[in-house]
Amino acid sequence: MKFFECKDVAEEANNYLDGDLPLRTRIGLFLHIMFCSCCRNYLQQLREAIKTVSIIKPKEKSSTDEKALADKLMNLSQEDK
Amino acid sequence: MKNFFKSTKNDEKKLIARLIKGEAEAFNFVVSEYNNVMLSVARAIVGEAFADEVVQEAWISAIKALPKFEGRSSLKTWLLNIVSNGAKTRIKRESRQLSLDDGWESVDSSKFDHTGHRYDDVLPWEQESPEALLANDQLQDIIDSCFQSLPPLQRATLTMYDLEGIKMEEVCNILDISSSNARVLLHRARTTLHHAIEKYQGN
Repeated sequence: MKFFECKDVAEEANNYLDGDLPLRTRIGLFLHIMFCSCCRNYLQQLREAIKTVSIIKPKEKSSTDEKALADKLMNLSQEDK
Repeated sequence: MKNFFKSTKNDEKKLIARLIKGEAEAFNFVVSEYNNVMLSVARAIVGEAFADEVVQEAWISAIKALPKFEGRSSLKTWLLNIVSNGAKTRIKRESRQLSLDDGWESVDSSKFDHTGHRYDDVLPWEQESPEALLANDQLQDIIDSCFQSLPPLQRATLTMYDLEGIKMEEVCNILDISSSNARVLLHRARTTLHHAIEKYQGN
């Protein structure tokens, strides 16, 4: 079995968190993480970063007037009636 | 973690009925809820210049087709597929080469020695919980501007998967990319955002 290093953890960190890895890789990474506090901290930071961003929910920059668009669509939906 | 994304089929049926009836509030709700992610998808596929137009056209065809919506997917996924199809017809598929090989590095390789071990310790962040991170306006600005600086495909992948809770398989269909490409895009987007927060934390 391949012996996993910190660099491997950094490269696979997101797939590891999403559970999207073959079992062999997952176990290899898990073993490394058990013994490496740096990688444990790194994964924890990444988890927090993802959660924070998902709460802040940054948006696309846009000049669309959403109220005007909603009005336009509403009028359109009633045209055929 | 993904539970708060779920709206029930019943809620959606009611919403669609209200849209068909022409209730202003329902239109305001769907536009404010879905226009952003639709724009993100359009920008990722067709680029900045045509994205607004593609989204407007998608809204119009969606509203016209709404009475025929069968609810086999969620309203959001259905809308995103309409945007995606509209965007794809705007470009010739052959002309779109997805190049991921732009010298990107997940973590600066100077952080590792020749055996792949880290030189420096990674310490826990001082402000650990997302709540503590959120209490900080400056950090919110940093996250926002970092998000804006991501390439459109990375933004769209992150927006759909992490912010909107759309399944990876759907994300791939909508953006017309392979799952390994989507994983790479997500990895890069998240890692860039992590770097921005890490820099702020001063680690």
